[in-house]
Amino acid sequence: MQLFVQTLINGLVLSSIYILVALGFALIFSVMQVLNFAHGSVYMVGAYVTYFVGSIFGLPPWGAIALSAGVMALFGVFLEGCGFRILAKDFNRTLMFSLAVIVLLQTTADVTVGGVLRHVPSVLPGLTRVGTVTLSKERVIACVIAIFLLILVNLLIRKTGLGREMIAVSLDRTASALQGINVHRVSAFAFALSCALASVAGGLMGSITRLDAYMGDAMLVKALALVIIAGMGSIGGLFVSGLIVGFIDATLPIYFGAAGGEVAATAFAILILVIRPQGLFGQEV
Amino acid sequence: MKEGPKTSNGTSLPKYALLFVAAVLLIILPFLGIGGGPYFIHICILIFTFVIVTSSLRTIYLSGQASVAPAAFMGIGAYTSAITSARLGVSPWATMFIAALGTMAVAAAVGYIFSRLRAIYFSVVTVFFGVGVEALIRALESLTGGRTALVGYPGFGILRISGIGVIDFASSKIPAYYLLLILAALTLLALYRLERSRTGMNWAAVAQSPLVASSIGISEVKFRVLAFSVGCFFAGLAGAAYGHYSGVLAPGSYGLMSSIAIVTYLLLGGQKYFFGPVLGVVILVAVPEFFRSAKEYAPYITGGVMLVVIFLIPEGLASLTKPAWLWLRRTAGKGAQ
Repeated sequence: MQLFVQTLINGLVLSSIYILVALGFALIFSVMQVLNFAHGSVYMVGAYVTYFVGSIFGLPPWGAIALSAGVMALFGVFLEGCGFRILAKDFNRTLMFSLAVIVLLQTTADVTVGGVLRHVPSVLPGLTRVGTVTLSKERVIACVIAIFLLILVNLLIRKTGLGREMIAVSLDRTASALQGINVHRVSAFAFALSCALASVAGGLMGSITRLDAYMGDAMLVKALALVIIAGMGSIGGLFVSGLIVGFIDATLPIYFGAAGGEVAATAFAILILVIRPQGLFGQEV
Repeated sequence: MKEGPKTSNGTSLPKYALLFVAAVLLIILPFLGIGGGPYFIHICILIFTFVIVTSSLRTIYLSGQASVAPAAFMGIGAYTSAITSARLGVSPWATMFIAALGTMAVAAAVGYIFSRLRAIYFSVVTVFFGVGVEALIRALESLTGGRTALVGYPGFGILRISGIGVIDFASSKIPAYYLLLILAALTLLALYRLERSRTGMNWAAVAQSPLVASSIGISEVKFRVLAFSVGCFFAGLAGAAYGHYSGVLAPGSYGLMSSIAIVTYLLLGGQKYFFGPVLGVVILVAVPEFFRSAKEYAPYITGGVMLVVIFLIPEGLASLTKPAWLWLRRTAGKGAQ
């Protein structure tokens, strides 16, 4: 029972954090047709920024997460304006630009703050007892925050004018521009939102595991897997693929070890791609 | 994909002269006594290895397949060769080629399965394949040594050739330098011939338009799988040769970030140009070495070079060679007048 419930919570935590990261990745892909490989590094930087704004300004953990999200949103606008907007049409150059961003961010993290064991302080530390099962509150609260944010972002995309503009731009960039939608503003907003979400995910994950300058690499692969399994361009499908991948990562390592679990997870992603390239919920490619 | 600019007859003579000078330089290089001795030789060996891998990756790109798993195939070659030579007691000289063929077989199977995916989807599936291979190396602990490094497999040892004498790979890095130099030269020659052959034209056709290519009887799947397996053959060969030279294999060197680094060498050098990968590898491997005294800051150089190339030289470094040559000729001509 104990193991079952804890695995369930772990699965939910991993799923919700994966979805937060993948949602940003998918947003950028939908709106700009760009695969932002630097997204994992943005997640890593978000975790560190959360840690440092919290410890320098003495903010409570939730304040640190919010402030860090704001900082990273600005960084997202900067990335879009100074890089991706200029290179948008050229796949190789956007790829190279995101790789250069990875190199610069990881090196900066490594030489300035890497190598020291750090944890983001948890929003709600301690343990709680539900019936016979002991749970760590930080995992439960991470899960709750993530789910709350996901609902919020979903409403933002579907119900607000800016969100609808984003959907329009992702469907047809030229037509939206002709309708009077400011495509650049929408792209910048997508980047800001995407980086803010990654930063929150980093802050939440940073309270569960320790910070590491290279923590973004694994997360990038997870985000890719989620987007692929859901189908590129399908935002709603991310929730299902997130649960699948999150629970694979929470359960398989128990039976096969960490590396074995990773082999199984990548094999599953490859299988989905080969059998159903459009993903579970995507359009025909 | 467009072909690189063809050199006209007027410039072909200097091109061969340049190649000849480069060959002579590379052959006498170990005896010039430049910089840190064995360390300098080691960097050269590293450059030769990655020239092989990156050039073979370019061959795969020629057929329109943007693979992001070159390091994974290097790893397959390296581990296969190391394990077969250690467990079966076969000479590394044989296992190196056995491993390359094995890598090619894996690539053919994988390439066939992945051949129904195009463009970004193909790149993404190779990302997963690369991650999976690295995880598999870590998972098969009894065979590969798991997450710690694999050591204790045979190196190239001492080679006795009647008439020439004894070549000792263990006590000096210079024999390995020549081995990798020869392998790199042969690889470049083979890839150059292939690219200029009918097969190479078919690759370009498949890359440009699979539909048109298949309408004139060029099988997309056949030529894509062919390009993929040929490219991976050389990646496996380079991985195996480097593995026997270094004597230590760690799964981390064959992961996603290593693959991405190799893709960066290619894009930075210029994938449209045959010598683009060579330029990219030399610049990105050698330049950070100049700043070795501040090693942890060296990636800033890499990142800076990348940004400059992305924004100022969109076609890659190799696209500068022609204007540079013209400029050189013009200034030289002026000087003569």
